[in-house]
Amino acid sequence: MASLQHPFQCLQVAKRGSQGLPDVLIATAGRYLYAYNPTNGQRLDVWPQDVDSAESKASTAHVADDTAPPEKRRKLSSDSEGQEQKQTSNKKAPAWTAIPLTVTSSDGKYVVALTGEDKAIRVFELSMDSKFKELNSRVMPKRASALALTPDGQNIIIADKFGDVYSIPLIPGEYVKKVIEAKPTGPSATPLTVHTKGNLRTLELQKLHAERLANAPPQEDDRLNFEHHTIIGHVSVLTDLLTVSLAGRNYILTGDRDEHIRVSRGLPQAHVIENFCLGHPTLVTKLCIPSWAPHLLVSGDGAGNLFLWDWRQGQTLHRISIQETLQGEFMINGIWDISSDQANVILVGLEGSAQLLCYKLDEQGLQVQDTIQLSGNVLDLVGVNSSGSVFVSVDTLREAGSIDSWKPSSGALLESFQITVGADGIKLSATEDPVATNINVVGTSHLPADLNEKQKKDLNTSLYNLENLKKRAFD
Amino acid sequence: MSTPQPVKRQKREEYRRKLQDQQAADGEVKMPQKKFFRQRAHANVFSDHHLEYPISPAHMDWSSHYPAFVDPDPTHQTLSGTRRLLKDVEVVDIGCGFGGLLVGLAPLLPETLIVGLEIRTSVLDYVRSRIHALRLRQQQLKQGIVAPIEETERPAEAPAPEDEVGTTNALVPGNYENISGIRANTMKFLPNFFARHQLSKIFICFPDPHFKVRKHKARIVSESLNAEYAYAVRPGGKLYSITDVEEYHHWILRHFTVQVGEDVSMGSSKFLWERVEGEELENDPCVKVMSSETEESKKVTRNNGNKYVAVFRRKEDPEWV
Repeated sequence: MASLQHPFQCLQVAKRGSQGLPDVLIATAGRYLYAYNPTNGQRLDVWPQDVDSAESKASTAHVADDTAPPEKRRKLSSDSEGQEQKQTSNKKAPAWTAIPLTVTSSDGKYVVALTGEDKAIRVFELSMDSKFKELNSRVMPKRASALALTPDGQNIIIADKFGDVYSIPLIPGEYVKKVIEAKPTGPSATPLTVHTKGNLRTLELQKLHAERLANAPPQEDDRLNFEHHTIIGHVSVLTDLLTVSLAGRNYILTGDRDEHIRVSRGLPQAHVIENFCLGHPTLVTKLCIPSWAPHLLVSGDGAGNLFLWDWRQGQTLHRISIQETLQGEFMINGIWDISSDQANVILVGLEGSAQLLCYKLDEQGLQVQDTIQLSGNVLDLVGVNSSGSVFVSVDTLREAGSIDSWKPSSGALLESFQITVGADGIKLSATEDPVATNINVVGTSHLPADLNEKQKKDLNTSLYNLENLKKRAFD
Repeated sequence: MSTPQPVKRQKREEYRRKLQDQQAADGEVKMPQKKFFRQRAHANVFSDHHLEYPISPAHMDWSSHYPAFVDPDPTHQTLSGTRRLLKDVEVVDIGCGFGGLLVGLAPLLPETLIVGLEIRTSVLDYVRSRIHALRLRQQQLKQGIVAPIEETERPAEAPAPEDEVGTTNALVPGNYENISGIRANTMKFLPNFFARHQLSKIFICFPDPHFKVRKHKARIVSESLNAEYAYAVRPGGKLYSITDVEEYHHWILRHFTVQVGEDVSMGSSKFLWERVEGEELENDPCVKVMSSETEESKKVTRNNGNKYVAVFRRKEDPEWV
C-alpha cells in the first residue's frame, strides 16, 4: 500500500519531573498535535480531537483523511475569514494545515503552538494523564516566525515576518480593549506642505474622502483583541528568537534576514538594546544558546556558516563553514544543544538535507566530530533521556536531499541514534529504539493520494521556506 | 518627446563628466548644480536595494570620507584592513538630502566628524560632488588663489540660488574636511555603521511624511526605530527633528513621550528620551542651522510653510530589573 503520511514538523519533550509526573513527548504533524509516552512510544493524545475521531471512525486502516488541506488553504486566502471560523465550529476540518512552531514551558505544564494559516497562538495545558486541554487561542496580525517563553514562564514572546516582536501573557487576564478616541479623519497634508498641481488635486480628493468616512458608521475592530505589547521591532523579517537568563538578568535575542542578531534586555526593558552580534554575511536562520554554556551563542545562516559568539559583548569567538565538511551549498535550518551524561554536543541540520552534523563546543570553538546520514531530510530532533539517546524526525514525503522531489511512499517518521564518546571523539550511531518503532507503526495522518502539483508545491514551501528569504539584489 | 528619459540621462552624464574633469584640472571650482541630480523624493525602504554597508562598525572604511582625519599610523586598521581615523563619526543627519545641513553644521563643529545618510543615489552623488568642490575651494583659498564664484548656467531672472550655503569665498573652520555623505538605508542598517553610544547627535530634518496611514510604517520615526537611535546615541546626546507637517510633528512627539493613559507596563523606548525645551533649545546653534539652512527649510520658508522643531535628549539606560 503506497501511501504518504505527514512528517513530524516539531518535536519537544515536556519535562514534568518538577510536578512529579512522567515526561511527555510532544510532536506535530500535519494539522495535529500529538502526545506520546517517551518510554514506550504509546500515543497518549491527539489534538484536535473531534476531527481525529471522525477520521478514525471513517477509516479503519488509515484511509486518507486530509482531503482538504491544500485546498483549504487556498480557500482561506480568498474567502472571508468569518466563514472559515464558522466551518471550524461546525466540527469540520480546522482552518490550518500545519503546526509549524511549538514551545513547552520549563515545568512541562504548558504547550504553546502556532497553527499555520489562521495565525493563532494556542496555549494547552497538559493534564495529569497527558491530555491536551486548550486554554486559549489568540490570532496574531501576522504569522509568527518564532516563539519563546520568558524565563519566568509568564509571557509568550512572538516574532513575526514583519519584524515585530510581541509579548502576550501565557494565561490572559481580563482585557478591556481601550476605546481609541476618534482619530482625526482629515488628511495630514495641507496646501502648505504640498505644492504641485497634481498633489493639490489629490489633496482635495482626500478631503472629500475623509468627509465621507467621517459620516460612515464606525467599524468594529476585533484585531488583537487581547492583552499584547509590541516590545521589539526590526525593519526586516525575523527568523528566530531566544529568551535567556544569565547572571540574574533576562535577555531576548532576535535574528533577522538582514544579517543582524540583536541582543535586547528582557521584559519589561526590551527597548534597551545591549548589543548587536554582526558578522553573518547573509540571513541569520537559527539561534541556539547551549543550556550548559549560556554565555555562548551558536548562530547559523543561509550560506552554511556557523558563528560562535560571546553574545553579551557582541564578539565573534569562532566561525566555521559547513562547506568545509560537506560539499555543496547549504542553509542551516536547525541548531540543537543536546546535553547528556555522555557529552554535550551541538547538532546542526541543513535545509533539505538528510545529514546531521555533530560539533563539540569548548573554549577553542566548535569542532566537527561526526556526521550521520538519516533516511530523509532532518526536520527536528529531541534528546529524550540523559543517556544520549536522540530522536530525529525525518521528512516522510520528499526524497532525502531534495525539497521538492516526492517519495512514492513514506518511510519511518522517527529515527533514533545514540551519542557516544570514543577515543577519537564523539560518535553518532543509529539505533533501533523500540519507542521510535512504536510511534512509527501507529504513524500520523495520511495525505490524499491524488495531490496535484500545486498542492505539493504549497506543502513544500510551507515546510522549506528559507530559500524564499534569500535576498535577490536589485536596484 | 518619445524618448525624454535617455536624453535627460545623457545630459546628466555629460554634465557630471565635465564637472569631474573641471575639478581634476585644478582650475576654477564650480559648485554642482542640483538640476542634474534631482531624484524622485521617495524610496521604498523595505526593498532590498543594492546597498553597500559594512559587516559591522568595526569594518567600516571611513578613510576615504575624511582624509584629513586619517590616523597617520598605517598599522592602525579597521577589521576590513583599511586605515583608521583619529576619531569616530559622532553626528549623523538621517536623510541628508542635498546636504544643506552638513554644510551648515561643518563650521559650527569643526573638530567633529559629521555624516549624512541618504538612500537616493543621485542625490548622494550631488552631496559628494558638493563637498568635494567645497574642500577644493577651501584649499585654493588657503593657498591664496581666490576664485570668485560664478553661477554662469543659471538664468539671470532665477530666484536666489538654493546652493547658496557654502558657496562662500571665506575660509571656514574645519574647511569642510569634517563632513561626508554615504548611501544607506537607515531603517535597516544603522547598527552596521555606528556602535553602541557612538553618536552625540542625530538629525532628522523634514523626513518623508508618508501621508497615507498604510504608509506610516515607512516613517523614519517609530517606537522601534527610536530604540535603535537610543542604542547609537550616548546618554546626554540629542536627537533633533524638524518638519513642516503638523501631524508628523505630533507623531514625533507621540513616539518619543509617554502619552496619558498609555500602557507602558512592558517597557517603551520612550523611557530613553526626554524633550529639550526652553532656553536650552533656543540657545542651541544646531537648531538655528537646522531651521534655516537645509534645502527643505528654505523651500518651506519660500512657500510660507510652518516649521515644527522637537529635540530630545538621550537619558541614561535604566537600572536592570
